[in-house]
This record gives sequence, structure tokens and C-alpha cells, in this order.
Amino acid sequence: MTANADFPRLTTVNHRDTSPPTVDYNCIAWAAEDTENWWQPGMVWIPADWPADDFGLGALEAVFRSLGYADCGQDAGLESGSQKVALYGSGFVYTHAARQLPSGKWTSKLGKGEDIEHSTPEDVGGGLYGEVVQLMKRAVPMAATAGNPGQPS
Amino acid sequence: MTDSSLPVLRYDVSDRFLRLAAAWKEQSRHMSNTAQMAMLRSYQQIIGMGELAVPLLLEELRREPDHWFWALEAITQENPVPKDAVGKVRLMAQAWVEWGVRERYLSA
Repeated sequence: MTANADFPRLTTVNHRDTSPPTVDYNCIAWAAEDTENWWQPGMVWIPADWPADDFGLGALEAVFRSLGYADCGQDAGLESGSQKVALYGSGFVYTHAARQLPSGKWTSKLGKGEDIEHSTPEDVGGGLYGEVVQLMKRAVPMAATAGNPGQPS
Repeated sequence: MTDSSLPVLRYDVSDRFLRLAAAWKEQSRHMSNTAQMAMLRSYQQIIGMGELAVPLLLEELRREPDHWFWALEAITQENPVPKDAVGKVRLMAQAWVEWGVRERYLSA
């Protein structure tokens, strides 16, 4: 991945590709640690009864609330015993979700493209995804936070 | 319109579809929100081609699974994807291709 209009902040220093492109799953699935499904309202979503035509920012927040995450303000730093996700939006619609790795770096699946590891949530903003609109965290067992970076547990 | 104009029309439809599909693939490559993908002008123009686009969409789906499901459902008002395939893009594509063969939009 090189910097382009979609990702004007990506540089060779702040990210690296970690997978080939695939249409099998998207960023929401990847942030939720699922590599078998493309998540979208009306197909695969939680809560399962979420309206099929509601693609707003609230839809994305509802997914991660359902997975045990809660709002954590503006702090994107690494916290022992916690896992964080960053939610992105442009206008009224959600655009992207990224997940923090045990190293403190972040991992994103870029639509139908590659997975990448990036230094901060803001690295994939500023273009197609708009900006980070919410950070959320949940408690994870200590063993999980020291696990295999980038890989679903 | 004369009969002799039909091959020209078919060629134009295919050519236009291929240009729009290529543009859409490029524009939607990094999108995760399928509503955003479907709102792109190229995708809307493909839906606007109506039933003429159906065999071309199905052929494209057979060649490379992608999010053409919204367009196919909008045009045909069908949804042949079984419940256990929902969310699995390759299986969804396969269900649509099989439907296309059954409905004679595609050759087997």
C-alpha cells in the first residue's frame, strides 16, 4: 500500500502490509476477529436485528458495544488488560474500524484490499475513511494481550 | 431500430458495462461499507442499465466474486442466496451464478 487519495497519511514508515487482498472479510469483521464473513447490516451484524438499511455511525458503535466494548474517550494509547478499537466515519455513515494490537500498533483491513499494521488510528484517516469518530475498549485476559499480533485469537 | 442495429447495441452495452465495472472496482477497492459502494455513480449507472446488465453482472461475478449482489437484487428483485451463505462473498457469488444458469442468463 502506498499513499494515495484514499490514504493520504500512509507512509512507508508508519505502516506495513500484513496480508494479500481478499474479499472474504472486511474491516468490521477483522476488527471483530472474524476472517470468514463480510459484515454489513442485513447480512452479518450484531445485534442481529439491526435494521438492514441503517449504515450510520450508530450501527458500528452497536456492533462493538455488543462485543463488550465501551467508549474510552480520546485515549488511543496501549493499556494493559484492555483491547481498543477505533471507529471511523465520513458524514453520517460509518467507513472503517481498526483494532489495536498487543504491541500498541493498530491493524486494519482496507476494504477488499490488504490487511495492514499501522502506528496510530489516524494513519488511515484523512481520506476515504474520514476521521476517527470514536475509540472504544474492552477488558481482555492478560494472556490475550500478549498474543499473536495481527492474528485473530 | 432495424435488426442490423442489434449487434451494435449489444456491443455498446457490454463495453459500457466493462468501463463502469472497472471504474467501480477501482473506486470501491478500499471500502468496507457496501452502502457506500452502491452509492458510487458507476454502480448506480450499472443498476440503471436494467436487465441488460444482468448477464454481464453474473459473468463478472463468476470471474471475480465482488459486491454485485445489491445491483442484482435491485434489478431482478430476486435473492437466491441461502441463509447459510449470507456474509460469505464467494458462496453468495456462487449462488447467484447458479441462479443465472437456471434462469438462462448464463451458460453452464
